[in-house]
Amino acid sequence: MAADDRRNGDLTNHNHRDPKKPRLSEFLTESDIRSEFAHHHTGVARVNNGSFGCCPSSVLDAQREWQLRFLRQPDEFYFNGLRRGLLASRTVISSLINADDVDEVSLVDNATTAAAIVLQRVGRCFSEGRYQKEDTVVMFHCAFQSVKKSIQAYVTRVGGSTVEVRLPFPVSSNDEIVSAFREGLKKGRANGRTVRLAIIDHITSMPCVLMPVRELVNVCREEGVEEVFVDAAHAIGSVKVDVKEIGADYYVSNLHKWFFCPPSIAFFYCRKRSSEPDVHHPVVSHEFGNGLAIESAWIGTRDYSSQLVVPSVMNFVSRFEGGIDGIMERNHDEAVRMGLMLCGAWGTNLGSPPEMCVAMVMIGLPSKLCVESDEDAAKLRSYLRVHRSVEVPVYFLGLRDGEEGVKDKDSGVITAYVRISRQVYNETEDYERLRDAITELVKDQMTCQNLPPV
Amino acid sequence: MASLSPPEEAAAAAAASFHHRRSKRYSSSTTNGLAAESVPDKRHKISLPPSFISSSEIESEFSHHDPPFARINNGSFGSCPSSVIAAQRDWQLRFLRQPDRFFFDELKPNISASRAAIKRLINAEHDDEVSLVDNATTAAAIVLQQTAWAFREGRFDRGDAVVMLHYAFGSVKKSVEAYVSRSGGEVIEVQLPFPVNSAEEIVNRFRTGLALGKANGRKVRLALIDHVTSMPSVVIPIKELVKICRDEGVDQVFVDAAHGIGCVDVDMKEIGADFYTSNLHKWFFAPPSVAFLYCKRSGAGGNLHHPVVSHEYGNGLAVESTWVGTRDYSAQLVVPSILEFVNRFEGGIDGIKKRNHESVIEMGEMLVKSWGTQLGCPPEMCASMVMVGLPVSLGVSSESDAVRLRNLLRERFCIEIPTYFRPPGEGETDSITGYVRISYQVYNKPEEYHRLKDAINELVRDGFKCSSLTD
Repeated sequence: MAADDRRNGDLTNHNHRDPKKPRLSEFLTESDIRSEFAHHHTGVARVNNGSFGCCPSSVLDAQREWQLRFLRQPDEFYFNGLRRGLLASRTVISSLINADDVDEVSLVDNATTAAAIVLQRVGRCFSEGRYQKEDTVVMFHCAFQSVKKSIQAYVTRVGGSTVEVRLPFPVSSNDEIVSAFREGLKKGRANGRTVRLAIIDHITSMPCVLMPVRELVNVCREEGVEEVFVDAAHAIGSVKVDVKEIGADYYVSNLHKWFFCPPSIAFFYCRKRSSEPDVHHPVVSHEFGNGLAIESAWIGTRDYSSQLVVPSVMNFVSRFEGGIDGIMERNHDEAVRMGLMLCGAWGTNLGSPPEMCVAMVMIGLPSKLCVESDEDAAKLRSYLRVHRSVEVPVYFLGLRDGEEGVKDKDSGVITAYVRISRQVYNETEDYERLRDAITELVKDQMTCQNLPPV
Repeated sequence: MASLSPPEEAAAAAAASFHHRRSKRYSSSTTNGLAAESVPDKRHKISLPPSFISSSEIESEFSHHDPPFARINNGSFGSCPSSVIAAQRDWQLRFLRQPDRFFFDELKPNISASRAAIKRLINAEHDDEVSLVDNATTAAAIVLQQTAWAFREGRFDRGDAVVMLHYAFGSVKKSVEAYVSRSGGEVIEVQLPFPVNSAEEIVNRFRTGLALGKANGRKVRLALIDHVTSMPSVVIPIKELVKICRDEGVDQVFVDAAHGIGCVDVDMKEIGADFYTSNLHKWFFAPPSVAFLYCKRSGAGGNLHHPVVSHEYGNGLAVESTWVGTRDYSAQLVVPSILEFVNRFEGGIDGIKKRNHESVIEMGEMLVKSWGTQLGCPPEMCASMVMVGLPVSLGVSSESDAVRLRNLLRERFCIEIPTYFRPPGEGETDSITGYVRISYQVYNKPEEYHRLKDAINELVRDGFKCSSLTD
């Protein structure tokens, strides 16, 4: 397995422990971990960390302390505690992601908010005549739905045009993605237009693939794209993040997905530049004009506690061997192992090779399930949740005309995939439950068309 | 427990189930995280007086407040009783327990339940008119973004006016700058008198401001009016001002009532505005943070959107606001629990409002008498906050003096109270230039205001001057 290639295309730099050394007692045991996640519904095979993430009880306890501090004496907290706490979180993140300056790091609710900030800025450039009508925004067709709607709301509305690049899937190599992207940029430049913004996922959501983000950003620079926005909702805690290396203008990642924060918090990195950045938080407060990081630190009275626990999360991950790097590596290895187990049991495939996966893997579903639409996929997902206590997202792969598709062991075309996630609280039984649920459906000749109602 | 006749039964059942809920942890056997109401034994009929919340129960509900502090500033950040905090925790745990199921099955219907409860409370016509957002600051951005689009897309002419009060909240002013000025609108600020002696003074000044807005054939596209100004705090005669706006052909009226619900009467049909926003975490016992934004369906308000665009874009503001990406929506889900809390008080929220008003005036007049100063407005122009003049001898001569005095009160006397600098008018000598804004909420006690009285009197006795304060 080309493990080295998977993080920014770089060598990984986690610590290798001498296997003969005994484990230090300060590391969490399996029973400690179960206790940290005891609030999870024990009956459920929760193999979908990717959608909503998770938060251990020690971090929840830290959050509660912050909440109580506000409730206890809110004025004092507002004047003396809040900003310092936010700066502490931002400082930790800034160093984790290798930003030059903590000013480049703002805290917002989630990637959806960051997308609105970037796209509002692009929208203003169109409205105020800095961009020409029909100039383009280029993105992948599997960009998150909220981002697409945000483009509609802010860019299309003011005359910008969009180009969607179809992500090859299943995919076997980074080159396939890079070529498709180059084609997309060419389209975006056709007829004398300028590509004003490229939106690139670091890890796509559905279908889930680890993208060659550094190469894609390089291609953007080569091809004269004005700005690059990397939507890395899943990245931090999943894959090593080095924003200088990646070289994007904007980079956002949710900390509540893979970085053990409570809902919700994301960091939004805006590369420092000589000119006025003109990025603003859409919820304008008295801090307007003081820079995005300061604007985002006060958007009216709210509960900021989820943004204040980042130092506590660092304590939590330090109780794992290898810290967050160790967690990421083990999550990846285990996810791939489970993925291979599943596609072996079902006679199907992985959506991408292991080096193009993080702690999430797409596994083809048996063709005999007859998943023929998005509705079928949703039906199957609900069935698995309600009747089998398995929580896993299901993806319907609509094949285009002329596409052959990949066949499974029954020589049927694979039209759907599940996306499994692996986080520290998962156990092998979770994936075995999924395996058996699908295997039994096939054995009983169930299809999406005759699934029992939920 | 013994059976009771019907009205007492309801109150006692509510009290019993309240106590039961407080001590219960979430379990999957409940629906909506709430235990079934306990059913009183119907065999014996005994009449008991209604069991309203007692003083010690109130103390207990707010026992998380910092004990040494005289917390007489409910207006800034509000307050939340522990039973509502416990309800919020239940909701947070439901998400953490199985977030996908919560997202698919529980979130939307429960936000709808909160919205329906608010719609009834504020006398709106349809649930659709009620959206839940984080706070009034967010609501302002939503309304003003719509105004900006109208300018950008040519529905409004460059130079058309937006009229607002000079005492509008700082964040709202910045929002007007960011959205209206930037897109070509002209901003007119109406100066209001302070101290103020009658609602008429405000009405007259507003008429003047509106006339200015319409000067040179301009159209006034939006009037942005506070229901209760923040600093200095005064209850604005909002019904009259909205009517004037209608008479004068203002396109849209947006009422910023951050201090509205739980503080003043909030009746959408009576007030008649196009948009009305109020925080629930200030005076309605919600945890931080939740506010409603009311948008009259039949009104001129067209296409409002939440600025954080999600897959719900285009489904109407109320639905867009139910999902702005993964976040903690628990503060929006506790409205039914808040109603249970306020209904433990005699007269419910109306009783609370009335008693808060009476108490804050009583305390204000006590302070005025002791300090030899005055209130910032007559009692009928206050709700649960009042501006009280500070002794002139303290020498509050700037905003930074006011801030430093506030810090001193917090640090030396453990009193939390906002201070206000009122610049002397032309030709005024020896006028009152410093005010404090006292709030009264159910957890407050007269001792706290006496402590403030004594602290200020001590400073006066010591010959204290603000000029002696450094940062």
